[in-house]
Amino acid sequence: MKSLIIGGGKVGYYLLKTLTERQYDVVLIERDRNTCTDIAQDIDSNIIYGDGTDIDVLKDAGIEEAEVVAAVTGSDEENLVICKIAKSIFNVSKTITRVNNPKNIAMFKALGVDKAVCSTEVIANLIEYEFDQENCKIIQTFERGSMILVEIKIDKDNEWNDNLIKDLDLPNECVLTSILRNEKVIYPRGNVRILENDNILVITSQVGLSELKKQSRKGGIGNARNKKRY
Amino acid sequence: MNIIIVGCGKLGSVLANDLSSAGHNISVIDNNSECLNVLGSGFNGVKIKGIEYDNEILQEAGISTADVVLAVTRDENINITVSLIAKNIYKTPRIIARIVNPNRGYIYENLDIETVNPTLICSGILENKISDIKGVNHI
Repeated sequence: MKSLIIGGGKVGYYLLKTLTERQYDVVLIERDRNTCTDIAQDIDSNIIYGDGTDIDVLKDAGIEEAEVVAAVTGSDEENLVICKIAKSIFNVSKTITRVNNPKNIAMFKALGVDKAVCSTEVIANLIEYEFDQENCKIIQTFERGSMILVEIKIDKDNEWNDNLIKDLDLPNECVLTSILRNEKVIYPRGNVRILENDNILVITSQVGLSELKKQSRKGGIGNARNKKRY
Repeated sequence: MNIIIVGCGKLGSVLANDLSSAGHNISVIDNNSECLNVLGSGFNGVKIKGIEYDNEILQEAGISTADVVLAVTRDENINITVSLIAKNIYKTPRIIARIVNPNRGYIYENLDIETVNPTLICSGILENKISDIKGVNHI
């Protein structure tokens, strides 16, 4: 699979390095000659000096055989134009772009870029959703934070401790995906009992997350059904 | 007509003053406030300073009710981005972009954006003028 990276800044540099190490066929385009030389000294890979919005430069880099084009320059408008050229002139199947300003993500998606990645927003979301409680940790957010993967550590006082999964009172938008116990993965079914020191991975939404938060404020994460009866 | 002019360089500012005097509603967007000041006190349209393709800026300029968007900045990529937003998101009836680098005309063509190419027009006129002189000399 051949891929093309446009932009030799920090993102482009490490992307090239990582993909080259993983034995992918990668070409990088960068418009600053000195930057090109610097990268070429560090990484043994294909680096092309030129403007990534220039059709001849793109052809030189082999865009016609490329399956993925990643536009990672520091300019959002340039990234958009590169993706549009790749899509509409060369029919590249996957275009990925770096979005510098999170405000532009919606625009990129509306204009048909396959994947818009905004590190600013990813980090902002991580900070925003970081739990106050130490037993909860955000692992990953998807689709601009609309789906969240959370890890919950079960301690002795946790309400979930020593309960069957089917007895837990979970928010609607919340699925237990796996339990890590003594470095083993357990696939959570209704009849699995949660034990102390389990790490539970939960997929949830922003709503589900705040419900989990609310429940935890009442005294531990989640109110097991048997507790509710009192 | 409601007209948005994106980019207030030499071309944009002359356009803005002329179209405004002709009685059109003009909004001008430029990221450089000094460029906007060139418009002077005679200009009675709206001046907006900000990133040219920013959604909020475009809405402030009234893109949802605009009849025409003219993308005439000095940056090819901004002109293309603004044109694509106006065309695909706001369905602006008429969009015309300025080609900065004549070699990049194919991008606009491919994305179906109407353009003017000042460099080509100007060089055409100059070539004509020179050929006139030659003609005179020959007689």
